[in-house]
Amino acid sequence: MEPLEIFKVETKIPEEAEAYKSILSDVMSDLALANAIGRIYVIITPEDSLFQMAIILRGSPPLVKTSDFADVNIGALGKNEIQLVLRDEKYLPDLLEKLWAKYGRGKVIQQDRKTINVSVGNIDSDIEIIKEMIIFDPKRTLLSRLVEMAIRGTPEGFRVRHHSLNDNEFIFVASEDAMKPEWVQQGHQMLEKIKGGEAFGSSA
Amino acid sequence: MAAVLEPYIYEGGIHRHTLLLELLEDMGGYLIQKTPAATEVTLVMLVPRDDVHLIEQLAKELLGKISRAPLTGTEIAVVSPTLASHHLPHSACDIAEFLRRGGANTTMIGLARGMGRRVALSADYERKLINEHDIALFSFGTFRDCIINKKPKLFEGIKIPIVATGGPDIKTEEVPGADMYIGNIGRISHRLRHSDELEALDVMSEKVGLIVEKIREDIARDPLAVMPARIMKEVQEQIPEIESAYTPAPLTLQLDGIRIKLPYADFHKKVEELELQDNIRLADVATVTPSKMKNYILVKVKRKSEVGIEI
Repeated sequence: MEPLEIFKVETKIPEEAEAYKSILSDVMSDLALANAIGRIYVIITPEDSLFQMAIILRGSPPLVKTSDFADVNIGALGKNEIQLVLRDEKYLPDLLEKLWAKYGRGKVIQQDRKTINVSVGNIDSDIEIIKEMIIFDPKRTLLSRLVEMAIRGTPEGFRVRHHSLNDNEFIFVASEDAMKPEWVQQGHQMLEKIKGGEAFGSSA
Repeated sequence: MAAVLEPYIYEGGIHRHTLLLELLEDMGGYLIQKTPAATEVTLVMLVPRDDVHLIEQLAKELLGKISRAPLTGTEIAVVSPTLASHHLPHSACDIAEFLRRGGANTTMIGLARGMGRRVALSADYERKLINEHDIALFSFGTFRDCIINKKPKLFEGIKIPIVATGGPDIKTEEVPGADMYIGNIGRISHRLRHSDELEALDVMSEKVGLIVEKIREDIARDPLAVMPARIMKEVQEQIPEIESAYTPAPLTLQLDGIRIKLPYADFHKKVEELELQDNIRLADVATVTPSKMKNYILVKVKRKSEVGIEI
């Protein structure tokens, strides 16, 4: 699935849909979500104070291991030491947290911005453990960013909200008044529509 | 008769800008606001109409830029339904920015419960605060139905001219209670920088200018007993403490008054006793009340017909 291969916003007045599309794309780019969302379909009915959104995510992004962003090697000769040289600093805080938790602060020494030395008991086994250590789960922040996007995108007064995330399918319904079951039902129908994909056509 | 004053903004280097201030003082103009920023300075001033060419000439010599600022001497409330990220900073702050470029002083007001359709409402305190300004500009969103049918209830109790901005292109008459509706500035979540967005802001600034012009004409029919700029000058001369008020605009001019940003309890006596001319105190020609904005002082000037004097 391509990123944003379907991006459709519907309102009674077409110009209003255009304006909302621009708001949603701004929110998505602010939250770095554009790559994670495959298909998105939004219907806004201001007369009923109703905002409905169905999203299909582009499948789970892979877990990030130490070896994905750092070279893990044996450190100085004669010491039981493993040296990590970072290629990407983005995950440094998460990496340090994990190393501190496992080996203790005293044994993890960050020499400079991109080099970390870890004193270990057994070099051969620990080098494999560190290489395969799961440092970051993109899915964890994805859900919170998705909810954030829904809240920022919805008109502010619509504070009665329903949302559900099943695997890669996200439904969000918001209104000012008490939630009606048929609105949520319509959300599920919207999801079915974009699941069909091609027949529905793309306006992205 | 007092000279007719024209509003101008000077933008230029800080070097030798005092020459401009001296010239302004010599010809009886008023400096409304001075904003130094590093090596640059922005001067908002009122210049006697007959002497505008002198100021223009000097500004040219100093390699500065001088432009007419029709909104000078006005205080405009830019009201957004709430302070949430849905409404701020774009587009309400961009609207305020454009009004300030026109010379206005703006107050950003976020209502506590202005969001939504059925649930939108404003509090008494908020309405009173908005009413202290010259013009209230409400920044609304994208939906035609909301702007026409639901949001105008926020106008209730607002006695000053009301400008509404929003996304759809609708006529002023369709928005009940608004004195002016300006389209193409709806809810936008990026900085307004595309040419059509900037164009819409220019139109907005121009249309607000028309309303200011209309209020000025109204005032001219029954003039103020004293010009707010004159009060400003007297405050600067007679209440030295104003020099140590560190707000961006310690004396904020309004079309029919002035906001003095000093604590009411400590200074209202001094302000009331301000001597404007022999035996004429400020309290004789204006009402001095506590402002709803912090603990400041609000002065509203009475009309000539009411007090029988024009200074």
